Amino acid sequence: MKKTNDFRHAGAEREILHAEKLRKFYGEREALQGLSFTLKAGHILGFLGPNGAGKTTAIRIITTILQADSGRYTVDGIDSKFPEKIRTRIGVLPETLGFQKHMTGLECLVFFGRLYGRSAAVARANAEALLKDVGLDHRSRSLVGTYSRGMRQRLGIARALVNDPAVVVLDEPTLGLDPRGQQELLTLVRWIARERNAGVILCSHLLAEVESVCDDVVILSSGQVVASGTVTEVIRRAQRDVIQRNGVRIHVPPTSVADAQRVLHGMPNVLTVTPTGGSTGWLEISLVTLADGTSWEDHRVTNRILEALIRADIPIISVNADGGRLQDVFLQLTDEAIA
Amino acid sequence: MSGQQMLAAFYRWVTAPTLDVSSHSGDVPNMADTASIKVSRSAWWVVFRKELEDLWVGGRGAVLLLLYCVLVGGASLLQVVLSESDMIPPKELVYSTLMLSLTFGVLMNLVLGADSISGERERGTLEALLVTPASRPQIVFGKFLAALTPWPIAFLVTAPYLAVLAQDDPALRLALIWGGLAGTLLAASFTGLGMVVSLWSNANRVSLFVTLTTYLMFYLPTQLPSGAQTGIMGRFFKRVNPLESVGHWLEKIIVNNRNPLEFSTDPRGGGWLWLVSPTVLAALVLGALIISASLLRLEAHPSALPGIAYLQRRRHKPSSKNTR
Repeated sequence: MKKTNDFRHAGAEREILHAEKLRKFYGEREALQGLSFTLKAGHILGFLGPNGAGKTTAIRIITTILQADSGRYTVDGIDSKFPEKIRTRIGVLPETLGFQKHMTGLECLVFFGRLYGRSAAVARANAEALLKDVGLDHRSRSLVGTYSRGMRQRLGIARALVNDPAVVVLDEPTLGLDPRGQQELLTLVRWIARERNAGVILCSHLLAEVESVCDDVVILSSGQVVASGTVTEVIRRAQRDVIQRNGVRIHVPPTSVADAQRVLHGMPNVLTVTPTGGSTGWLEISLVTLADGTSWEDHRVTNRILEALIRADIPIISVNADGGRLQDVFLQLTDEAIA
Repeated sequence: MSGQQMLAAFYRWVTAPTLDVSSHSGDVPNMADTASIKVSRSAWWVVFRKELEDLWVGGRGAVLLLLYCVLVGGASLLQVVLSESDMIPPKELVYSTLMLSLTFGVLMNLVLGADSISGERERGTLEALLVTPASRPQIVFGKFLAALTPWPIAFLVTAPYLAVLAQDDPALRLALIWGGLAGTLLAASFTGLGMVVSLWSNANRVSLFVTLTTYLMFYLPTQLPSGAQTGIMGRFFKRVNPLESVGHWLEKIIVNNRNPLEFSTDPRGGGWLWLVSPTVLAALVLGALIISASLLRLEAHPSALPGIAYLQRRRHKPSSKNTR
């Protein structure tokens, strides 16, 4: 991966995408209720929301596939009234990927490069450079149909970069990838933002990955923004205003789950102990909540729980307090909005 | 507007670049970037070449052509066998093989036209195309040209069969010239018809069902015995049906030895009148395609065509409207 757009760093932190009060109706249903957000150059914005929250609608509006019923947005200073100009400044990785399987990776990128008006030679040189950037140069002449899911995703990212876009929209880029593939792809996403200085919109259901890679986040629920800001801000605000800490999650070896359950059952202030995540070894422990909404000296209870497990010689792999992660914020906020 | 002006306007419409950075009001930062991105007028050519590869390298075109060869080859063999017992003159053999070629050649174009947009929607390949700056008319025009290619190839494949069946009869030359022209007119019409339906369909099944039903409505009357289409109404339906009109017109030229140039001196214009319905169909369909091309969307607006809307409500619930 090489640095490609040094001159852009002069304008780092500038607003590259600004959306204002976007609304969209499907018949009577309002799919998007006044969505506003901004994206800065070199930043990664996580776009979150449960199914049907309006994420796809929002992304399709930004990528000029759909037309908003009201509101406006600008991409790299170009107003939404000029969708064809906007298309030259955005790169998109749709969820469907949409590759012709009989084309090679190189042919595919050359084709898209030529649609952006590049000559065959320039499009080819650009395609070869991009394939190298995403680590597919060794398979550039293989048919896309023979690529693994991860390779196709990386090719999709290369395709989204053929026009050197100011804004890159990635819809579920890690869908169907194994953990290593997910990590590789997230590294690529970081590279797009940091080295190419593009604004990246990352739409994903994997909240841990959003938390690890995104600078900012927008959480949508039923077409409304329920939280937005930097990831830290959103978590802090939600912790302060919304989340009641009333539980703790403990990760033990899967073989020790039954022993841990036995030890924790009947402990004071422990309400339930439930194994979660299949046979991965996670235990969800809910604590007794007091009438004022706080739990009973939760940190002390957590310490007692850990002490009991250590005494019983049960290895503890990790501990998470409820409300400390983006996932907790997401679940709480989207749950509230739905309720 | 003269024909030449119309052609010029059409060319400008198809090749209009979708981006003109220099004409933008000036609030575009990073001009160093945007200036390097200019949409060429030949995006339709890029789409056409890619579609051509998709069709012929991807194998769909080759499979259809193979089926076509089997059909035309089998039918020609059968005709040769029958001609020996029934003493069918070579010009009639040439005519019937040419009609067979037209029937199936045009059908291939129709099927490919019907698959061109709705197929991409189904395969999920349309979105990536629509987010590029290539204009919708350029995309549609490129696809149209590619979907048109099976006809000339099929006609080329048929030519040797016609040559063998003609047995040095001058009917061969007439069949190649006039059959080629009439076939091109029909091929353009039916490719366009398939594409118009495809543009308004979200599912390939719907688009194929609608186009094949329409085709059958045109084709089945051509199989009726000649006695079934007599009287004013019979003649009217014969003239209205483009497949039948073209068949009748070619029959006059190839089998009845009528010189097409005589048609223009015929005070009633009898001969050329047979070409009115295919010409009108071509004009209507291509006009509809030109209008629809600008409305190409990721998801179709089925409400515009009630029949398709009904079928799609039964098979596929659209999830969005007002797409660009």
